Amino acid sequence: MPQVISIQPVTRIEGQARIDIHLDDAGQVADARLSIDALRGFEQFVIGRPAEEIPRIVSRICGICPWMHHVAAAKAIDCCFTVTPPPAGQLLRELCLVLAHIHDKILHFFFLAAPDFLFEPNSDYSVRNLMGLVQRQPELAAEVVRMRQLGLAMLERIAGKATHPVAAVIGGFSKPMTEQERQGLLADGRVLLDFACRALDLAKKRVFVRFAEEEAALGAIRTGFLGTVDDQGNLRFYRGRLRLMRPGGDTIDFAPSDYDRYLAERAEPWSTAKMVYARAWDEGFSLDLEAPRGVYRVNTLARINVCDRIATPLAQAELEAFRAGFGRPAQGALLAHWARLIELVYACERMLELLADQRIAEPLVRTPAEPRAGRGVGQVEAPRGTLIHDFTTDDNGCIVRANLIVGTTHNIAPMNMSVHRAAATLIDGSQIDTALLNRIEMAVRAYDP
Amino acid sequence: MSEARRPRLCCHWLHACSGCELALLNGGDLFLDLLQLVDIVHFPLLLDRKYANDAEGKPDLPPAEIGLVSGGVASKAQLELLRTMRGQCRVLVAFGTCASHGGIPALRNQWTVEQTLGTVFPEDERSCSGGFDPEDWLDRVYAIDEQVEVDLLLPGCPPRPETIVATVAALATGHRPQLAEKSVCEHCPTARTGSGRMSVRRFLANADYDPEAPTDSMRCLLEQGLLCMGPVTVGGCGGREMPLCIRARVPCRGCYGPVRRQGNQLLDLLNVLASKGIDHRAIVDRRSLLRFSGAHGLLKPNIRER
Amino acid sequence: MKRQPVIIAFCCNWCSYAAADLAGISRLQYPGSIRIIRVMCSGMVHPDLVLQALNKGADGVIVVGCHLGECHYLRGNEMALARAEIIADTLEDLGIAAERFQLVWVSSSEPERLVAAFRAMSERLEAGRPPWIEAKEDGQ
Repeated sequence: MPQVISIQPVTRIEGQARIDIHLDDAGQVADARLSIDALRGFEQFVIGRPAEEIPRIVSRICGICPWMHHVAAAKAIDCCFTVTPPPAGQLLRELCLVLAHIHDKILHFFFLAAPDFLFEPNSDYSVRNLMGLVQRQPELAAEVVRMRQLGLAMLERIAGKATHPVAAVIGGFSKPMTEQERQGLLADGRVLLDFACRALDLAKKRVFVRFAEEEAALGAIRTGFLGTVDDQGNLRFYRGRLRLMRPGGDTIDFAPSDYDRYLAERAEPWSTAKMVYARAWDEGFSLDLEAPRGVYRVNTLARINVCDRIATPLAQAELEAFRAGFGRPAQGALLAHWARLIELVYACERMLELLADQRIAEPLVRTPAEPRAGRGVGQVEAPRGTLIHDFTTDDNGCIVRANLIVGTTHNIAPMNMSVHRAAATLIDGSQIDTALLNRIEMAVRAYDP
Repeated sequence: MSEARRPRLCCHWLHACSGCELALLNGGDLFLDLLQLVDIVHFPLLLDRKYANDAEGKPDLPPAEIGLVSGGVASKAQLELLRTMRGQCRVLVAFGTCASHGGIPALRNQWTVEQTLGTVFPEDERSCSGGFDPEDWLDRVYAIDEQVEVDLLLPGCPPRPETIVATVAALATGHRPQLAEKSVCEHCPTARTGSGRMSVRRFLANADYDPEAPTDSMRCLLEQGLLCMGPVTVGGCGGREMPLCIRARVPCRGCYGPVRRQGNQLLDLLNVLASKGIDHRAIVDRRSLLRFSGAHGLLKPNIRER
Repeated sequence: MKRQPVIIAFCCNWCSYAAADLAGISRLQYPGSIRIIRVMCSGMVHPDLVLQALNKGADGVIVVGCHLGECHYLRGNEMALARAEIIADTLEDLGIAAERFQLVWVSSSEPERLVAAFRAMSERLEAGRPPWIEAKEDGQ
């Protein structure tokens, strides 16, 4: 008899999702879907709002990465109003963005993902989590918590409000950094970099060693990738060109404002979330596991794959080691965790670079703007992937049209493939228990949706 | 044995962004201390406990002494979860501004569900967006106290971490939680002279202040002619210190909701402007003064379009 | 029987409340569905009270104060005027028809003017047959 097994909700992810696994008469997986049910309506209710208010509204799309939406919207509205922030304004925005990356990556890796690897997959759910980690390894847990605190405290010092921020404003930033603050932040930043390097070492010893075995159990998918690089091909979070990579490694680069010529959105009857596919490949869209069409991934692994190099030394060394082990592009879904910690090192090094730049403490942080009609595309790399905000304003500087592609939207298609592949590989007539279902969720968690 | 008698904490999100849950974790050491005081029995961000295992299943939530619900209610499934949680929790807390007053998602209440679907899935994509059934959705976004009885409002977008931890700890130990009851202005150190500009301008250039000087030397932003919602917003965002937006030198936008539970931030702010002799017609887009408190029927589709 | 629109009238103690008294003594007729609430000054009617009345079932709200320049407290009615502008501008933002609210000036010696204002508002609300009244009749 056909049967549907649901995992509801998918847990230890930063949002709400469910998985439905459809089994046929023989108990084989006929299909498996990940669905995200939400009608938030941001594209509707930003209409009519004064554009300068938008960065403080769209931050509420995500409580974990509000800085990404905040900054992407500020960049987009800068374009609408044709205003260019002064250097200190740009540097402060980027600094906040990388600090937000830092505390997000610590959260995702240690609080959400690591319990799957530090505990046995079939251990009890009441232990396999942060609280279990606190019980079993109190020193590690306490240090992780303190490092996140430090990152957040730095953000509060720079920007006042760390969650659902307010300091990135049209034309720049709301408050300059004083020289004294800069010195204090540099000292704290070095502590974070030191922790990032130790976290990566720890993960290599205790987490990544299990990847080969787990990847084999989950099965593989093969897709393209999308991320942001600068003119030299360096990994970037705050600005640059978008690079779309085919599964085989060929790339095309394009300006973020041209995104709708290279990417296209579509809705499918079985999903309430829109999906994005690579229009530029001109091959249509298909989630066929053996021959997917138009499907690419974003976020940590994608960025590590598309960049030619990383402009900071420690992260570059890690990237080289990673490429030596897994090639380019690396396809294994769990490798996203590894890539995440390489990016953590990059984010810490980049933070120190930004703080070392004396221009960041200049008093001029904002260029005054005038409302006007225009269109602007703002793009940043969020922990969850490439984030694109596209706004159009009227003569009064109010929003008339909005299109938002968030990181997870790009990943809906490959996540569905990963879930399907994992379910098909794992179930294959065997006993379905909670440990097995958690393994399927691990395939989703790697994407950090 | 003493372990088993610890109060149980059930934490669930509805029409929310997960910022409130993150704020709880941001308590850091305070959060770790809280783990010594309560047992977390359900918390989808951290704990692999499922509430439904079959497609049609009713939500299965555990009994708990303290329940935290973040987010408003927008769908029938969320309403079912909320009702179950009310039945299972001895004390139910509206956790954050969305649960208390609707929050940013309730801005959608200015349009019908059909209108929103039409915008999010434009015509060409709509033909294949059959995944969305308008029947699954309520007519608007509700605050949770419009649907079930709520014992405590803990507003904030997000609430201050130490306030969340202190509130849960107070409930766990049988004390009365202490929450701010006065407006943001009461916590704001900026200099007020009682006179100021007779108009409000859009926030297109920064406020006038000396970044090297302490905040109390900065003139009140409303008196500088910037629309600030401090007078009609309940305080607490900065804990014992100054409001967070003021730390960033930007005006308040009202994220903690009205000062009085029944207050209307739009009408109340215009009333403040009228009493100061400031022309309210300079405000572009008055309705977004309700951007954090559009539930309770305050934001509705435009009557001329209905 | 056809339902008459319920109107809450906030009347200033020093002018319109006295005028209403005089209207009674003079046996001037006005619709029985008008409910008068005495306030010390029209300037003390907070916009929240108007909104609350409309949300809790009143079909209309009328605030009646002294003519400008004749306020017992010197400038209270100027406050009422400023608030009335807010209310008139805001009701539609809140999804309520603006004609459900009105501000008029009446002195204590003008009962006819008060009654005329009451009647006019009642007739206007009835004649418009606005949707909110029909909905209520269906429900009752």
